[in-house]
Amino acid sequence: MIGRAPGWIVPLVGAFALIWIVPIVGLVVTSLRPISEIILGWWSLQEFTLTLDAWIVVWDKYPLAYAFWISTKIAVISTIIPMLLAPAAAYAFHFLKFRFRRLLLILIINAFVLPNQVVIIPLFRLWRELGLIDNIWSVIIPFAGLSFAWAVFLVKNYLEDFPNELIEAAQVDGCGPLARFFYIVLPNALTPIAAVGILQFMWTWNGLLLPVVFLRDELPLTALLARIQGVYDRNWDQVAVAAIITTIVPLMIFIVFQRYFTAGAQTKSGSKE
Amino acid sequence: MALAETASPDGPIGPSTARLRPAALRQLSDTQAAWLLLTPLLLFFGVSVIYPVIETIRLSFFEIRGLAPPKFDGFGNYIRLFSDANFLNSMKVTLVWALTATFFSVLIGWGLAMLCSLNPQKTLVFRVMIFAAYGVSEAVSGFMWLGIYRPDYGLLNGILEAIGLTNLTQPWLGNPSTALGSVIVAYVWTQVGLPLMTCFASIQSIPKNLFEAAYIDGAKSGSVMRHIIAPLSMPGVRVAIFINLLNSLKAFDLIFMLTGGGPVRSTETVGFFMYRESMLNFKLGYGAASTVILLIAVLVVSIPLILKRTGDAK
Repeated sequence: MIGRAPGWIVPLVGAFALIWIVPIVGLVVTSLRPISEIILGWWSLQEFTLTLDAWIVVWDKYPLAYAFWISTKIAVISTIIPMLLAPAAAYAFHFLKFRFRRLLLILIINAFVLPNQVVIIPLFRLWRELGLIDNIWSVIIPFAGLSFAWAVFLVKNYLEDFPNELIEAAQVDGCGPLARFFYIVLPNALTPIAAVGILQFMWTWNGLLLPVVFLRDELPLTALLARIQGVYDRNWDQVAVAAIITTIVPLMIFIVFQRYFTAGAQTKSGSKE
Repeated sequence: MALAETASPDGPIGPSTARLRPAALRQLSDTQAAWLLLTPLLLFFGVSVIYPVIETIRLSFFEIRGLAPPKFDGFGNYIRLFSDANFLNSMKVTLVWALTATFFSVLIGWGLAMLCSLNPQKTLVFRVMIFAAYGVSEAVSGFMWLGIYRPDYGLLNGILEAIGLTNLTQPWLGNPSTALGSVIVAYVWTQVGLPLMTCFASIQSIPKNLFEAAYIDGAKSGSVMRHIIAPLSMPGVRVAIFINLLNSLKAFDLIFMLTGGGPVRSTETVGFFMYRESMLNFKLGYGAASTVILLIAVLVVSIPLILKRTGDAK
């Protein structure tokens, strides 16, 4: 609580936020109006009819529930893997001394810059040989593999502030390096782990490129959305419905857990009171 | 019975179970523990990062046209790239795209974070509203922004007409001189949430007594912002710049949805150039070489930043 804010701050930020959600409002309105009206702009008021037609059509025509289930499976598994493995790696990099430590760390964190498109062609050939095309693991493995760069970075960044005395005390009491991780560091690093989970869930749920290339029938929501959009008629109302269904889950997750994210993004700032 | 056998330390499983007993674990050296903790991660990492990168580098030395057998070509692809006006253009677009998008995302997010931090309770809802855009996938935001930029009945042209600026209306995404700017605006819209959050978190961790002291000394909120909040929120700003810059270099889905790289390649980033050459023109080697150049460029920029953050173990 910093307080003594001038009165104009809240209205100013509020106005900004309202402008910020105009595209989202547009999406909702588009899904609720007949296509004949949307063609004149979703915001036009010459005629204004609200209808759930598009919702019903999309629900009947496309396997939404199934795609929802696939999205859930992919996002949950690809989120759990880095939540387990990134803290272990961050601990090893931060508190243990071993050969190639620096080299490995640089390799892993630098993968952050790797564009998703790079992995597609080599992995496509590999998956084809292994018969993994149209298997959700063809998407989960790169989703997990590509997440480590920032996930390790985030957890390690948090460990910079971790009190070294705790580690030393445990060492004196005879805790080995693994015990120090499981009993000392892990229980105290739940915040960045939660942040990793939230971000990774949002990104894997929203991912489009990998599922489109590697999956054929087991389509998650984003890929289904692209498919609905690819239909060559004016079906913007239906696309909007699919877009809302695609967006709702990561948005809810985010709103519910945003305080963990805030805490996880907290960085070393010399605040040791 | 089988169960009891597995659980017994002297069972037929032998040395591997023995190694996992707590007494043995305590004697693990740092090196052994580190590799034990890292191996599963390295497996995923090897398959989905190391292997594709090595394969991409290998492909970049081959001339591959469609289904014809690959022909080793040394640095041929690289030499051709640097005389390819389209590739040089894509480098320029990438640079403009990444710098402008990052600059505005971080500036807006940081400014909002500072304003919000003066009244955290009452601005919570607004922060969530702005951050919500970050939860919307690029594919979906592309669709939303199409409704704004549409030349016939888009919201932007509609507003311009309504306020009498009809001469400014134009096909925002169809005009080569406005397309890149328009896509950047849409991209900034999706990205501002991240700097807002990291900067806000950074400000929240500033010791409260600093503010009390400042107010007791009679500081106004303007100078508190300039002399306390702005300088002490720099860690959040740095993280945001790092993440936003690297994310913008990878951006693909939004450009794909809005312009597909056009018109006349005015929004074609290197990522998109690579996609066009390898996926649409089937010149895998050529596309791979363009990615390798992008990777090298990014590494040159990011390695000093990362080296700073990978100091010695405690």
